[in-house]
Amino acid sequence: MRVFWILFAAEWRHFRAAKGLVLLCGLLLATGVYGIYYGTTEIERQRQQLAALPELTHRNVEELKVKFPGPADAGDIGYYHSTFAVHHPDPWAALSLGLRDVNPSYVKLRLLGLQNQLYATDNTNPMKLLSGNFDLAFVLVYLLPLLVVALSFNLLSSEREEGILPLLLAQPIRSATVIAAKLAFRVALVLGLVWLLSGVGMAWAGVPLDGRVFSWLALSTLYCLFWFGVVLVVTALQRTSAVNAVALLGVWLALVVLVPSLLSLGVAAARPLPQGIELTIKQREEIHGGWDRPKTETMNRFFALYPQWRDTATIRERFVWRWYYAFQHLGDLAVAPQAAAYATGLQARHNLVETLNLLSPAINAQTSLNALAGSDLPTHLAFQRSATRYHDSLRAFYYPFLFRKVEFTHADYAQEPRHSFTSQPELATAQHGLLKLLLSVAAVYGLGLMLLRVRPVSPR
Amino acid sequence: MIQTIAQKEFVSTLRDRRFAVLSGLVLLLLLAATLVGRASYRTLQQERQLAQQTVNDQFRNQPARHPHRVAHYGSFAFRPKSGLSLLDSGVDSFTGSVAYLEAHQQNSINFSQAQQAGSLIRFGEMTVAFVLQLLVPLLIIFLCFGAFTEERETGTLKLLLSQGVTLRQVAWGKIVGYSRAVALVVAPALVLAAALLFTGEEFTGGPDLVARLVLFVVGYAVYFFVFVVGAVVVSAWQASSRAALITLLGFWILGCIILPKATANLGATLYPTITKAQMDAEVHEQAQHGIDGHDPHDQRAEALKAALLKKYGVDSEEKLPVSLAGVQMAAGEEYSAKVYQQHFAALNATYEQQNRLSNWAGLLNPYQAIRPLSMGLAGSDFAHYVHFQQAAEAYRYGLVQRLNGLQASMGHGDKERRLGADTWRELPVFTYQAPSLGWVLPRLLLPVAALLLWAVGLCWLGLRLISKTSVA
Repeated sequence: MRVFWILFAAEWRHFRAAKGLVLLCGLLLATGVYGIYYGTTEIERQRQQLAALPELTHRNVEELKVKFPGPADAGDIGYYHSTFAVHHPDPWAALSLGLRDVNPSYVKLRLLGLQNQLYATDNTNPMKLLSGNFDLAFVLVYLLPLLVVALSFNLLSSEREEGILPLLLAQPIRSATVIAAKLAFRVALVLGLVWLLSGVGMAWAGVPLDGRVFSWLALSTLYCLFWFGVVLVVTALQRTSAVNAVALLGVWLALVVLVPSLLSLGVAAARPLPQGIELTIKQREEIHGGWDRPKTETMNRFFALYPQWRDTATIRERFVWRWYYAFQHLGDLAVAPQAAAYATGLQARHNLVETLNLLSPAINAQTSLNALAGSDLPTHLAFQRSATRYHDSLRAFYYPFLFRKVEFTHADYAQEPRHSFTSQPELATAQHGLLKLLLSVAAVYGLGLMLLRVRPVSPR
Repeated sequence: MIQTIAQKEFVSTLRDRRFAVLSGLVLLLLLAATLVGRASYRTLQQERQLAQQTVNDQFRNQPARHPHRVAHYGSFAFRPKSGLSLLDSGVDSFTGSVAYLEAHQQNSINFSQAQQAGSLIRFGEMTVAFVLQLLVPLLIIFLCFGAFTEERETGTLKLLLSQGVTLRQVAWGKIVGYSRAVALVVAPALVLAAALLFTGEEFTGGPDLVARLVLFVVGYAVYFFVFVVGAVVVSAWQASSRAALITLLGFWILGCIILPKATANLGATLYPTITKAQMDAEVHEQAQHGIDGHDPHDQRAEALKAALLKKYGVDSEEKLPVSLAGVQMAAGEEYSAKVYQQHFAALNATYEQQNRLSNWAGLLNPYQAIRPLSMGLAGSDFAHYVHFQQAAEAYRYGLVQRLNGLQASMGHGDKERRLGADTWRELPVFTYQAPSLGWVLPRLLLPVAALLLWAVGLCWLGLRLISKTSVA
């Protein structure tokens, strides 16, 4: 054991002397801090944007109070009034932004048909979306393995190339101890960086101190260990430094770039998605057909679903709001199968990726961190379901006014339901990810140790 | 002499098994990406054409309706894929594919592919451009990092120079030789792509498409040349093969992974985007109360009515030969469209400010020069997207105003009446003509200049550096 620590200390002195490596670590630290800064400002910006929405609703209500000074027909209010379903981020989202930029964090809702409101997008710069988010998860998943590669591609080969290895192995030292000490030093260094960055990130983002702190650290630690396992395998093959560098970068390229992009193609082919646009077109036909159909037909279809309003007065007018909103809602119902198929299609794609992410620990780490932060697709789908329920509650609020012909007064605005949804982490997904990562780690170390056993370290 | 060295490098590269494996892999990926790109292009194009056809038919076959009902019924504009987008899909996956066009408002362009792909899309898409921009440079690095260092390490550089060759000639010989090897890897895929393009139904662009493809190939040739020269220069500059390889990989990571993301994110932080909700509220506010706040909607409507009455010399709305509601609707649409236009222009200006940082970074980073150039030529960049957005809005405005005109001509009491079903068949449907190369080129001057600057600058500065490098 003493030999181990002597070697460990020697590695430390070696590292300090190598300016390039120190610079590289500093660079990673800097990019990590930038990632944290970017993630937290991005989430803070989203929070501010969401906080500004009630003011817009308020201004809308004030305008309506001027427009309709006395008691009004609730149909007019439902038509001109808009409110928002909002998706508040979890504090953890600052560390792993996931799809929070691709998917909107709020939906503007009116009492009209839901399905042509639910999929509206926010203003986004496509060039920015293409480049992606520079958050801490990106630094950990994408860049950290590169630091591992840079630190360890010549773990043993440089000693051999500089002629030190024969001298070293001539001493009463087992080659396993040499590799263990060298690897342990680098693991300690990189894990130190990872924990430091994670700690700074958590403090900066102000995350709640729950079990997710442990999960995050465990995920990032295992992911690091995986890459050191790959280093072990490549080291055990005992090639030259240049070959090692190429091999390690090749593995990085394969796991972080090629497998995900090929998997993306495979998943799209294996789980074709019903086109969202079909739904919008069909809903438009249904709703606008409502104008042309006989009113009694529309109302009878509506009353079959909502018998509580059946006893309301027969419509004889040319236009009346309750008929209008009835066919709006029937339009939504007509495309309910398509809407459900679209949502389940998205979920099925996501699930398939979850199943296949064992192929690449990088995908596994990324989706697990997203799951922990509640910033992935399932959370967005949960938000859309929540927005749908909110729209239901809005209808439930306005229907008595419309069908019982109750006048809508200024006091009634305050009674309107409000919406708030906060991301929930998918802890089960994160735990599965953790287990799978553990499996990957065990596999690479197993392979590495086996190779070392089969081919003992040769000094030359 | 340069030719002899070039031939030697070319032949020995081909004999290198590592190169054979790596280039085989890259070639395979390129061919696969071409075929996948073509397949996805076809599906998307067919889906969109079919959907556009469906909505056009629906529009034409409407029953008798009031024109304003039709204006609310509206239409959809589907964005056709550009032919070359099968090589570089650019921002296409991140922009929506369809806009709902209706009276009074401009809707967001919805249903982007990124929303449907989940977080995998964040790792990058397997397109030809992706392989050409990121993987081929990596292949070049692996090919060239030992150009000088290996000769120095084995002592052959001295022998070579004793033959009376200058270092500069050696460098040029190597650059030419390696360039040939790279061309051998990339050319088959580009030939396949060209063949697919020119035999398929995508070939509707005619000479425009040919010119774009030629420039596309030339652009990438310059890009690869920059990497070959850069790698050879670094190889001459660094003491050992290992150091050369690490330096080159460091540049690759910085240029191809870190910088593009960092500049895009920094741009977005520096110039925040207004939310759609906020923008819509402002548009509504200005349409109601006037752009300057002193010209409210109600006053405008009153003034319009008075002017109409005066024009036709009548004293009441009922006696007007036109429908007042229709005329007012047209004036309202004109006003609100103007307001929308201003806000969209401001929004696009914000995006352009955000992107400017990344575009200028092309001067520092060849990857950020080829990327906009490639997307621009492929017709899948931000400018092309905006072009489509504006075309869709122009059609929407024209359609709605025509319907308002129809309403106005119905005379007073139009609300009680409808126009016949054949009216809708006479209205034009949405067709989109993608901009020509002449429209694109002026927008691509910066990346072109950056790429050329890199090529010329590296040749000039780098070769000066090489001629001063140590021989032993």
